[in-house]
Amino acid sequence: MAVQPSTYKLEFPYKRSLGPVVGTFLTGLRDRKILGICTSAGRVLVPPLEYDPETGDANPDDWREVGPSGAVEGWTWVEKPGPKQPLGHAFAWALVKLDGADTAMLHALDAGSIDRVQTGMRVRARWAAETRGHITDIECFEPFDPAES
Amino acid sequence: MADEPVTTMEQMVSLEYKIHSTPLQRSYGRALREGRITGHKCPECSLVYSPPTGFCSLCVVPTSEQHEVEIADRGTITSFTIVDPIQYRGQEEREVYALASILLDGASGSIGQQRIGDVAPDEVRMGMRVEAAWLPEEERKGGAAQAALGGAIRHWRPNGEPDRPLEEFAEHII
Ligand SMILES: [Zn+2]
Repeated sequence: MAVQPSTYKLEFPYKRSLGPVVGTFLTGLRDRKILGICTSAGRVLVPPLEYDPETGDANPDDWREVGPSGAVEGWTWVEKPGPKQPLGHAFAWALVKLDGADTAMLHALDAGSIDRVQTGMRVRARWAAETRGHITDIECFEPFDPAES
Repeated sequence: MADEPVTTMEQMVSLEYKIHSTPLQRSYGRALREGRITGHKCPECSLVYSPPTGFCSLCVVPTSEQHEVEIADRGTITSFTIVDPIQYRGQEEREVYALASILLDGASGSIGQQRIGDVAPDEVRMGMRVEAAWLPEEERKGGAAQAALGGAIRHWRPNGEPDRPLEEFAEHII
């Protein structure tokens, strides 16, 4: 008789409080908007931070809607995604600088094949069918050619 | 709610893993599926290890299938704890129950964390005699879980024999 390994699963359900800045960001995602916070110096941080990384000062409560399209600043290809990864097929992790933002955000990019991914390429957020206030409300980014739309 | 600000985030930290059983665990598990509890008897000091370890840690000698002996599926409760399960999310237990360490007849050490059944938890006591309530053969588990007695035995229940005196099992109380 063939010996099957036994599978075990350990799970810890957490509920985290988000605070005013990440809370506003995720509220925005729930409403299908990507929000950045504007520092005193006028830089728009996406995802937002409570403090300005340049000065350490608390950021004012000053929000800007950015995207939903942007440009890839860097990426890495995932040929065989693991079970916990956002897409079930090969994809790229990409740093996406959304239009109107001064910083890049890490998210999955569903480009189909590695040959279609380039630094500088234009991409657009693909929203999940249902949004709930979570980073996965953006299902992933996808290549976006404004001329085609 | 659809219009209220998002203030919390649920996050499931999840770890899934597989365990491959060792040849020793597999032979122990095969015997359990047949309704037998086995151990290894050290050829030098005669201590009986169940589940078998494959060696005697006192004599520092290996043991193998040729040292296999059968252990009784009954024994003596050496200590126990009463569990009153808190109903946290994911809890599957609803009722108060007892877990016990049991010194099986023929073994040199007790087995821990054994479920006691067919008796009110407040009647469980040290020295009580119990026997295995085996699962039906088709429900006994395979895989590495077979190495755990719980994969083959539903619980241990009083077998009606008189309690054993403390002196007989005192050195096995953990
Ligand atoms: Zn020995």
